[in-house]
Amino acid sequence: MSTMTTMINVDGISKAFTLHNQGGVRLPVFTDVSFKVEAGEALVLAGPSGIGKSSLLRLLYGNYRPTAGRIEINHSGRLLDIVSATPRRVLEVRRRTLGFVSQFLRVIPRVSTIDIVRDPLLARGVDGATATKRASDILARLNLPERLWQLAPATFSGGEQQRVNIARSFVEPAPILLIDEPTASLDTANRDVVVELIAEARKQGSTIVGIFHDDAVRARVATRHLAMSDFKSS
Amino acid sequence: MTIAQPASSFDADDTAPLLRATDVSRFYGDRVGCAGVTFDLWPGEVLGVVGESGSGKSTLLRCLAGLDPPTGGRIVFEVPAGPVDIYSLSEQDRRRLMRTAWGIVHQNPRDGLRMDITAGGNVGERLMDRGDRHYGRIRAAASDWLGRVEIDPARIDDRPRDFSGGMQQRLQIARVLVSEPRLVFMDEPTGGLDVSVQAKLLDLLRVLVRDLGLAAVIVTHDLAVARLLTDRLMVMKDGAVIESGLTDQVLDDPQAAYTQLLTSAVLTV
Repeated sequence: MSTMTTMINVDGISKAFTLHNQGGVRLPVFTDVSFKVEAGEALVLAGPSGIGKSSLLRLLYGNYRPTAGRIEINHSGRLLDIVSATPRRVLEVRRRTLGFVSQFLRVIPRVSTIDIVRDPLLARGVDGATATKRASDILARLNLPERLWQLAPATFSGGEQQRVNIARSFVEPAPILLIDEPTASLDTANRDVVVELIAEARKQGSTIVGIFHDDAVRARVATRHLAMSDFKSS
Repeated sequence: MTIAQPASSFDADDTAPLLRATDVSRFYGDRVGCAGVTFDLWPGEVLGVVGESGSGKSTLLRCLAGLDPPTGGRIVFEVPAGPVDIYSLSEQDRRRLMRTAWGIVHQNPRDGLRMDITAGGNVGERLMDRGDRHYGRIRAAASDWLGRVEIDPARIDDRPRDFSGGMQQRLQIARVLVSEPRLVFMDEPTGGLDVSVQAKLLDLLRVLVRDLGLAAVIVTHDLAVARLLTDRLMVMKDGAVIESGLTDQVLDDPQAAYTQLLTSAVLTV
């Protein structure tokens, strides 16, 4: 790669929670964090639990609001500060640029597994037949039994729900993928599939920021580590 | 109180807002219904208004929907000819706008349906309001809409009083959506229903809103409903908007003391 393209520019962000109904106690998470993520990187957030890795990931997605600072996201070639952007703009950035892969599937009542996975393809204008084919392919790769595809995942096991969630996120990987513990309740075979899917997403041009507790997964995915302990609030 | 945010350079915007509320207030004598509410709603956006009973959310909805003139402020709706202040229109013009460009789903289906005419008549009447006179086409459209809200089209000649509460609510939704409004106001749309019926209705609303590209303002006290259906949220207390933003932001990282109280009071099942 000749010139670097900045995909994420985190500039001096701080995060603290103020619990107004518990005596106004203030819980600082971190202060003045700055870093950049360049196109094609797979940045792994490292550090012990409770240090704010998930909070940082949620800040990057616009789910949490920082106490101070800017978070610029490369959206269609322009850096956009999602902290000051209107809600409407943040939704557009999420639709086209930012994907969030959480540990948990937010179950939508009554919607079948295959439709959940097809949905992001249809939203991007892929035709119905192609969407069904690609959704089926990725569910098969993740070893989700075909008899489950027409069912809503509400009654699935944790690991099955997680695979539905992963299928949905990777069927059409976003330019920036924020990944929180995707392999937490998966067996080795499925863990390997997730690592492959991440590698393929990167080949297609996705930039990754993630949290991976499994050492082996982390070693195979990461191009760089960000040590969160350096940022811990005093 | 305002939720309008400073426009960044990225918001030199492509489309005009569909609905623009500026400093909307409604007083009943000395009592505050709602005060100083400002927001813009764009096509395809779903805005939730949450807060407990008496917080002013239904008062606000009635002002926005043209049912009750605000004491102060402006409500501007975008029509093909350009923006119009809905309360500067004659009563007759406003009523016409309410029947064609937007729709209102009441909490109690009896407020939105005519209980003495058939299900098909309830749906078809809206098309006739719009000038449609072709009986076969009206009946076909009514039948199609009954199917879309999961009412057996064979019941097209039954009266709503013979329907269950959940079916009445779905019929009301069909009656509102058949005229293809661009904006729908909903007041506690799942309020009086059993939980299982609620889930079905919520999913139906979610799919319809997405497929039709509807904009909607949904008043609810149920945060789970807000999370499932809305893009943005306004939290009201004592008639004022005390917090607003993306729905997941407001629910996952609430800033105001009152919002924190609301979100922490939800039982997780």
